[in-house]
Amino acid sequence: MRRVIWRVQDARVVVLGLVLILAWSGIGYRLFQVQGADAAELTQRGFDQRVRHEEILPKRGTIYDRDGIELAVTVYGSSLVADPALIDDPAAAAALIGPLIGANIADVAVKLESDGRYVLLARRLENSQEAVLAAAIEESELDGFSFVEELIRVYPSGSLAAPVLGLTRLDDGAGIEGIEAIMDGTLAGRPGKRIVERDAAGRAIPQGELLIDPATPGSDVILTLDREIQYTAEQVLGKTIDETGSVGGSVIVMVPSTGRILAMVSLPGFDPNDRSGLDPATLRNRAVADVYEPGSTLKVVTVSAALELGIVEPSTMIETPHEVEVGDEVFEDHANFPSEMTVADVVAKSSNVGTIEIQRRLGNEQHYAFLDAYGLGRQASIDFNTEAAGVLDHYTTWCRSTCGASAAIGYGIGATPIQMAGVYATIANGGEWVEPHVVAEIIGPDGERVVTEPRRREVISAETAGLMLTMLRGVVERGTGRRASIDGFSVGGKTGTSRKFDVEQGAYSEDLTIAWFVGIAPIDDPAIVIAVVLDSPIGVLDDGTQLKFGGASAAPVFAAIAESALNQLGVAPDED
Amino acid sequence: MTAGALTARRSARRARDRTRIRPLVVFTLVVVLAFFALIYSRISLDRTAFDLQQIGQELAAEERIHWDLRLELARMNSPQRITEAAAGLGLVYPEQRITIEAPGVPSDATYAAKRWTASRSLLSELP
Repeated sequence: MRRVIWRVQDARVVVLGLVLILAWSGIGYRLFQVQGADAAELTQRGFDQRVRHEEILPKRGTIYDRDGIELAVTVYGSSLVADPALIDDPAAAAALIGPLIGANIADVAVKLESDGRYVLLARRLENSQEAVLAAAIEESELDGFSFVEELIRVYPSGSLAAPVLGLTRLDDGAGIEGIEAIMDGTLAGRPGKRIVERDAAGRAIPQGELLIDPATPGSDVILTLDREIQYTAEQVLGKTIDETGSVGGSVIVMVPSTGRILAMVSLPGFDPNDRSGLDPATLRNRAVADVYEPGSTLKVVTVSAALELGIVEPSTMIETPHEVEVGDEVFEDHANFPSEMTVADVVAKSSNVGTIEIQRRLGNEQHYAFLDAYGLGRQASIDFNTEAAGVLDHYTTWCRSTCGASAAIGYGIGATPIQMAGVYATIANGGEWVEPHVVAEIIGPDGERVVTEPRRREVISAETAGLMLTMLRGVVERGTGRRASIDGFSVGGKTGTSRKFDVEQGAYSEDLTIAWFVGIAPIDDPAIVIAVVLDSPIGVLDDGTQLKFGGASAAPVFAAIAESALNQLGVAPDED
Repeated sequence: MTAGALTARRSARRARDRTRIRPLVVFTLVVVLAFFALIYSRISLDRTAFDLQQIGQELAAEERIHWDLRLELARMNSPQRITEAAAGLGLVYPEQRITIEAPGVPSDATYAAKRWTASRSLLSELP
């Protein structure tokens, strides 16, 4: 038998062979695992790493004024974020970045020294700001800073019409006030989604998995506001508020025939681009949300109702003693008038006693019917979700003694400036009430236009409206509204002064008032109606007239705004 | 077998072999060409996809610029800015208003026609 002799070399070969077999077995096993047993899971894991499900944010619709000028627009901007772990010298970085983003250096330093890997330093950066920051970061060779693209809402005209436009939330861009809120469903659009394969650098892989459901951009909203008239109204009202020490005020400029609101001012206002130090009270749109007793401006309802029903005529003589006792209350006039006046003079001189007598002849039921028909006690427009309905109790609940008399002269009834603008627009429009509105039309992403069709209803006849216009002209020519006159234009309107109700005291204030003027110009062919309200004006004019009266403080505001607005609208002067 | 006959048989076999191999060579050539064509087409597709991506990015960048310019325009012609700029130039509201009546405008003329006539007559009075 032949004996096998193992040599050392043979043993090495065997060991090497075994090692190779083991190695190849391991590789084979791993290959089997990767390509066989775990293939599905690993394929899915790789797919999940590459494939990203991304939401495509829709571009929010633009809000334009009536001339197509952007009042609120969404642009591509960015946020500045940092990874503190990559920043070597947080103090130096904070000193550089802080001033550029308008933040406190110490606050930025605290963020950059934090333990997290992601801190948000600034939001709503426009491209120009981003460029400056990027250049500074690059020049200083700072690591750890990056920009994240975001859509930002910008209001190019700043605080102009801010309480009307409202604003959007910073995080999700949803409208939270004003038109931004009420039209949010229209402006927001529909988000889309994208499934895309990306490489490690975040670039889309060509020929990779791709599915795009594009976002639907929001519809554009065209308002009836005129930017120039809005600006003038804000300037004039703001100046008057400063001069009269008023708490606030509001103005509405409206086209009576269409119900289109050219300007809607609520002061104090705010700048939606600057949220720092934002006072929530300024978000309120006083022109639609605040309810005031309209005082003498409401006398037009009493008188027009009596005229419409043939109870009086402009020339009817009304007894006007200085005071009259109704129930247990005494009503008096603000001045000494003749013992008898025509209805036209009662309006021109704003006689409380004369108006109460006309209301007595009219009766509560019929008086209420006209107050209701003029739109008091209910929201005037569908364009404002925060609009107050005002206060108008049903006549059956009125007290027997003084409620009718109070209502005749504008007490016991609450109205918003937009409601009172609607009342006077009805008279200016030949007796037809047209719904006041600020949204002119909506333009969808496909170009489809939806034009607002305001509601309409006849309140008084054209004859009665014509008589009322003549009487309102008398108010400005020879009555309490002389300061509302404008060179070259015929003007009509009515002053109003109501004592402010002190909620804390539970009684009317002795000193503070709500000053009104609601006017129409030109009175012969009305182009605009302007309602002005000042909250608590104080002071005295050089001639001794107290500014707390609407004729002294609110009427000049009307005149200044009307003159500019008529010029802006190209209305030719109708008087020498 | 003579040497000549052997040579003739070899030649005939080679000729048969060549005839048999030729289609294989052609087929191989076609496969190789198709392979390279496929690679080329994939590269072209990838390149086109990158180009499209690039164009998409440029489009997005242009859109950003477009909206930035619109925003800038709205800011530039805002009444606040113009009023401040005008005040800086010393422009003030006139204390007295002078109304100029333009003769010859028919009463039924359009608003634009009236404005143009008024503007034209005003311009003609300028030195």
